Amino acid sequence: MKQWLAAVVLWSLGGQGLAQTVTVGLDADPPNLDPLLSSALVDRQVHNQIYDKLVDLDENLRIVPMLATSWRVEENGTVYVFTLRQGVKFHDGTDFNAEAVKFNLDRYRSAPGSRRSGELSLITNVQVVNPTTVRVTLKEPFAPFLAILSDRSGMMVSPTAAQRLGAEFGNNPVGTGPFKFVERRRQDRIVLARNENYWQRGFPRIEQLVYRPFPDDDVRVANLLSGAVNIITPVAAKDLAAIRNNPNLTVNNFPGIGYQGIWLNHTRGPFTNKALRQAFAATIDRDVVDRVVFLGTALPSNGPFPPGTLAYDKGIAVPKRDLALARQKLAEGGRPQGFSFTLTIAPGPVLAQLAQVYQAMAAEAGIQVRIEQVEFGTLLDRAAKLELEAVAVGWSGRPDPDGNIYDFVRCKAANNYSGYCNARADNLLNRARTVRLPEARRDLYSQITKIIQEDLPYIYVYHPQTTIGLSRRLSGIPVIPDGILRFRGVSLGAQ
Amino acid sequence: MFLFVLRRLVGGLPTLLLVTVMVFALTRVLPGDPARLLLGEEATPELVAQIREELGLNRPILVQYADWLWGLVQGDLGRSIRGNEQVAPIIWQKLPTTLELSFFSLLVAILIGIPAGVLAALRRNTAADASVTVLALSGISIPNFFLGILLIYLFSIRLAWIPPSGYVEPWVDLQKNLLLMLMPAITLGTALAGAIARFTRNSMLEVLSQDYVRTARAKGLEGRVVVYKHALRNAAIPVVTVIGLQLGGLLGGAVVTEQVFSIPGFGRLLVDSVFNRDFPVLQAVVLISALAVFLINVLTDLLYAAIDPRIRYH
Repeated sequence: MKQWLAAVVLWSLGGQGLAQTVTVGLDADPPNLDPLLSSALVDRQVHNQIYDKLVDLDENLRIVPMLATSWRVEENGTVYVFTLRQGVKFHDGTDFNAEAVKFNLDRYRSAPGSRRSGELSLITNVQVVNPTTVRVTLKEPFAPFLAILSDRSGMMVSPTAAQRLGAEFGNNPVGTGPFKFVERRRQDRIVLARNENYWQRGFPRIEQLVYRPFPDDDVRVANLLSGAVNIITPVAAKDLAAIRNNPNLTVNNFPGIGYQGIWLNHTRGPFTNKALRQAFAATIDRDVVDRVVFLGTALPSNGPFPPGTLAYDKGIAVPKRDLALARQKLAEGGRPQGFSFTLTIAPGPVLAQLAQVYQAMAAEAGIQVRIEQVEFGTLLDRAAKLELEAVAVGWSGRPDPDGNIYDFVRCKAANNYSGYCNARADNLLNRARTVRLPEARRDLYSQITKIIQEDLPYIYVYHPQTTIGLSRRLSGIPVIPDGILRFRGVSLGAQ
Repeated sequence: MFLFVLRRLVGGLPTLLLVTVMVFALTRVLPGDPARLLLGEEATPELVAQIREELGLNRPILVQYADWLWGLVQGDLGRSIRGNEQVAPIIWQKLPTTLELSFFSLLVAILIGIPAGVLAALRRNTAADASVTVLALSGISIPNFFLGILLIYLFSIRLAWIPPSGYVEPWVDLQKNLLLMLMPAITLGTALAGAIARFTRNSMLEVLSQDYVRTARAKGLEGRVVVYKHALRNAAIPVVTVIGLQLGGLLGGAVVTEQVFSIPGFGRLLVDSVFNRDFPVLQAVVLISALAVFLINVLTDLLYAAIDPRIRYH
């Protein structure tokens, strides 16, 4: 017994692990550390420490240099010439140069099973001009190109390691990033160590970075409160108070780039009728959703583009709840007494609460919402086959506006779960990705947003923010709206 | 004895074959396409089709089954869809963790359950008996999840004595390993302790009323010797049966407990593979679990003979 007590006391005195280790609690175990095969959002939390990208994003989502120090856009937007940073080496000693960039872009474009091939499908040629210059040719002008290179498609992996390891590369990833891969134990931890030869002198500041998955919200926050982890992302709204009440902890809000809402099926059920779509949409009070379900941590939405992003138009109002309008639209749609439909949601306490709030709001206009909870894989399957009348699925968002809309509301797009088809909107969408002038693009996206607000393939309800809980000892975390924590400049102060 | 074991093992083969069929069929009737889940946000119809082709999911079910079975015979459990790595090493990495958790949980269960049951039987219809019954029922009824969170709140957050979760291999740091196992083992063990206490009590009551116990007492044997040497050993058979059955169930209970305490064992592997439709991992986990339950049953039979010399296997 004495020994036990001694162990316990030693534990509480000694703190956990190395003084310069930062432990991060995630909501899922990152499935794949190879950007080529990665399709889960959470992967990027770890990717961004192991790999540098050609370009990065700043706090205002502007494109900034990373492994490419500068770039020129030529031939009316179809050619990008990148000048590369010199003297950078991969963790395995391989040189980073133009050949490595060509290897990576070609690998993402054409390796079997590449999850990146879609994003880079417009590249027709990658040419090594000299060891520090690469020339990328596109089939047609594509405005989101640089933003795409700020994410997984721009991550540079070691050509030597990738060729040697093949399909196993994701289990032994090698990049040029601030941290090197050490080990992983599935569902338990991923350990990274400081890259002593990082090109940015003086970085990173901490010695070790450990990621641990905690799928359950309560468990994740308990680990933060007890000090077993230094930082968790995301934090459930219900846990915010507990973290704020702890003198050693604090909460940071990252403005998000995604959206959440409801797809309405235009091919079956009551929502084939436009007036009934508008009637249901008019019952939703976005402020109440924000206050009741998210305790003020979400932003009411006016469309697919959140405030702070390029295409956000503050001139477009967030739709207000209007029961009189809802009743008028019901009459117009030939159902003055109301109607009923099934709203399909994925499992989870917050989603269920959200659905109940929609249900209560709609009921006041005589619209009955049946809530159906379906496991996420099944839900996606059925949504893609347009079998569901209404389904609550959101999007994590991409830095370029195109990534928030093109594959969603375009006719027959992969993620179009409403069956919506509007030639005018499609035309605007295609133009918006070829025009380079930001003002011109914003104008096109505003036009599209207004069309969608009218046609309602999707009701944009709110923009989630990424909330992280962290120890006050941590400093130097840049607030980049893509929600990825970048640990390059993070330091851990004294207790 | 040896022949008995051999016969049981060989006799188990058809059962295991049946299990493989069931496992395979059940995973395939689960709705949700693994390729779609794997791709998540990135899913386009072309990519989904390509991944399905790569994973061999487009082949007829029977061909897929035969392929898997042929791999099994050669000791190849396949490749994880989600993690893109061999399944067998994952299993070998996770299995010892869950076995350790099961061992300590069982230890907690036996250390609490048997003395409590004996006490309740000896002090029948007293306050002690009633409290054992109430505690046993609470142990059985309190959900693992709730008890786990409660323990974390008390010992990790309020008192800050024990880290809330995680796992360290015993060969890396034994002390830390045991410390981290403490709360999960109590969480899982108390649920079993309740059932063991109830069975011990009932079985003891029956044995204590037997003639030979009265004879032993009449001989002037000390009360403790009568209880532990004469009565408990004879009362042990049903208790061992319960423990054996529960040990199988422990793998199931571990699912929740491992989730709460973030222990990277079999339970979490199972949950993750179900949610991701990672068929090869799911099939391997269920198959190995079935194998474990089967082996525990054989072991329980052997224990009967060790406890009761009248039982002989031929």
